[in-house]
Amino acid sequence: MSLLELKNISKIYGDLKALDNVSISVEKGEWVAIMGPSGSGKSTMMNIIGCMDKPTLGEVLLDGVDIAKESSKKLTDIRRDKIGLIFQQFHMVNYLTAVENVMVSQYYHSLPDEQEALEALEKVGLRERAHHLPSQLSGGEQQRVCVARALINHPELILADEPTGNLDEANENIVLDLFAQLHAEGTTLIVVTHDPEVAEAAQRTIVLEHGRVAREVVNENFEEQQKVWLERLKARKDEIK
Amino acid sequence: MTKRKMFLRMITASLLRRRSRMLIALLSIGIGATILAGLVTIYVDVPRQMGAQFRSFGANMLLLPENDQKMSPDQVDQALKVIPENQLVGAAPYRYIRVDMTTRQQSFTAAGTDFEQIMKTSPYFSVEGRFPQNSREILVGKEIAETIGVREGSDMELTWQPPVSAAGEESSAERKAGTALSGSAEGWGGGKVYVTAQLDDDARITSLTIDAGTQTPEIGGMTQTDGAFKGQFIGKTLPLTLGEDVDALSGATVTSTAVVEALNTARSAETVQTAKTLKYTVTGILTTGGEEESYLFMSLEDMAHLTGGESVDAAELSVSASAEELETYANQITESAGGVRARLVKRVTRSETAVLGKLQSLVFLVTAVVLILTMICVSTTMMAVVSERRREIGLRKALGASDGSIRKEFLGEGMFLGLLGGVIGALLGFVFAQVVSVNVFGSSITFQPLLLPAAVIVSMAVAALSCLQPIRRAVAIDPAIVLKDE
Repeated sequence: MSLLELKNISKIYGDLKALDNVSISVEKGEWVAIMGPSGSGKSTMMNIIGCMDKPTLGEVLLDGVDIAKESSKKLTDIRRDKIGLIFQQFHMVNYLTAVENVMVSQYYHSLPDEQEALEALEKVGLRERAHHLPSQLSGGEQQRVCVARALINHPELILADEPTGNLDEANENIVLDLFAQLHAEGTTLIVVTHDPEVAEAAQRTIVLEHGRVAREVVNENFEEQQKVWLERLKARKDEIK
Repeated sequence: MTKRKMFLRMITASLLRRRSRMLIALLSIGIGATILAGLVTIYVDVPRQMGAQFRSFGANMLLLPENDQKMSPDQVDQALKVIPENQLVGAAPYRYIRVDMTTRQQSFTAAGTDFEQIMKTSPYFSVEGRFPQNSREILVGKEIAETIGVREGSDMELTWQPPVSAAGEESSAERKAGTALSGSAEGWGGGKVYVTAQLDDDARITSLTIDAGTQTPEIGGMTQTDGAFKGQFIGKTLPLTLGEDVDALSGATVTSTAVVEALNTARSAETVQTAKTLKYTVTGILTTGGEEESYLFMSLEDMAHLTGGESVDAAELSVSASAEELETYANQITESAGGVRARLVKRVTRSETAVLGKLQSLVFLVTAVVLILTMICVSTTMMAVVSERRREIGLRKALGASDGSIRKEFLGEGMFLGLLGGVIGALLGFVFAQVVSVNVFGSSITFQPLLLPAAVIVSMAVAALSCLQPIRRAVAIDPAIVLKDE
């Protein structure tokens, strides 16, 4: 059974069909990129998968549950329990430190655990910056905190919306390396992007155009590429040590 | 870490690390709480303050003897016990007598009183010079001073005459069983004949002494020693009629008549005094705008010295209490049947109650307006806070915060501000009330310990109420929209 299955979903705003009878499925542990130009329905799809919106028509099966029919309260519960979100503009609580921002996610999910939050920051290479406020962190560092925050509750699915959109190339690589690591650990990743380079990092790319699936591209070089990235990540970590 | 700890950590971080915005919210709550606490303090204190103001208009209770007799100092003290010490501003006793100013052939009313108490009960007494402090000093009403032309430092010679003419009327009361009587009457040639008689328990004469030293020794003077003449009085009750109850000593009809008259007008020996003339120094001229200006004032001790006896005719009380309390005290004093009845000076107590009511409703109105203004101010600030933090709220929701959590967090911040504002407000409010009290009423107030919890609870409630609309707005935020905003 697929972890996520969208069956014939449409999202209609008045005359506009943001999504028009789209069907996709994502397997557990898969790394999928959703690509398309602006206005292609990427964001709408991201909101629907992220349980922040509901389709006008169709079914959205997450772990076999049709979330399209749930109340918004129930959607909040599902989002909290199963999905880790990463945004283009990072979105941190600006008066909380890095580690506190990670703990906010724990707070809503279950219980805050500072030690665990620090370990998550260690994983993204920011153990030393744990007690800095967002204003004291670079964009890349902020996005890494957000990665740590997204994975702290061990979600079934990490949903990233243009995660490298506001980052320079060096930081983009760091984030993609982290994704590679998460993938290697078995996390399901859905990355929404308009950047072909970011999309190419995934196993499979779904291209949306005008609210429809235009095509799907499978990354033939994925295994090789993955190896390179993991090595690069390891090298970077050794460097830090 | 517990959820509660994280909750507090988030709230304190929000308040401490976003200082400028929170200071504005805190300021509005703090100022509101300050004015509220101040006004409430004044509101609570106003009756006392106004009471003190009204006390300057004079006494609001009178103590009078029952049945138009006199009151002893003990009776007055007994009556005063009814009124709590801290409410009794002052109690001035008054004893009125007529005194003659022999040099000018004029007589005046003199009031014996306690000047220290008068200063408390009648602060409106305006004295040119000073109040008497030592014995033989008097205060002269302006009217008298103008009539007889005395000034501060003048000497006045005053004579007190025992009230002879009144003796007949009150003799029945005075002729009580078991007392000694003495009296006098004019005999032959205008000479005085003095008698002293002892009465038994049935008011019958048991012994009689006659002093007829002014009469012709071998005629009227014989009444002093003639056993038969004196003997006929023994066992008789007063009054007597010559020729019916007793017979005149032959040849001395005039003296005999004087003896009978002296007996009939005789008064209890203790009350019989002779005229006394003493010299006083005027220490001040009194202006009140009232009838007091036609009185002389001296201390009760001086008056006792002049006339003997220490009973008083009235006492003026200044009591700092509400109209209801005054009524209760007055009834208690009258009902305790100590020979004293209490009467309220309605003119003073009524206007006090009316002014108090108006003042309190004014303060109440201002308090309500301030409360509403504070709420609008806090609400506006919180509204700004919410719109400023839309993204954060959206993020929290995206991270899985339920509507309840969002409500709790904002309410928590609001109440925390309310708590801080309440504490600040209670303290500053007291200072505010103190300043107002000192400037308006000219007296300081005591800190009400209850004010602190009350101010904190009220400001927390106001903060919570003010947060309702902003919270509703926060809950309505759609994370999908705000997180996409560039």
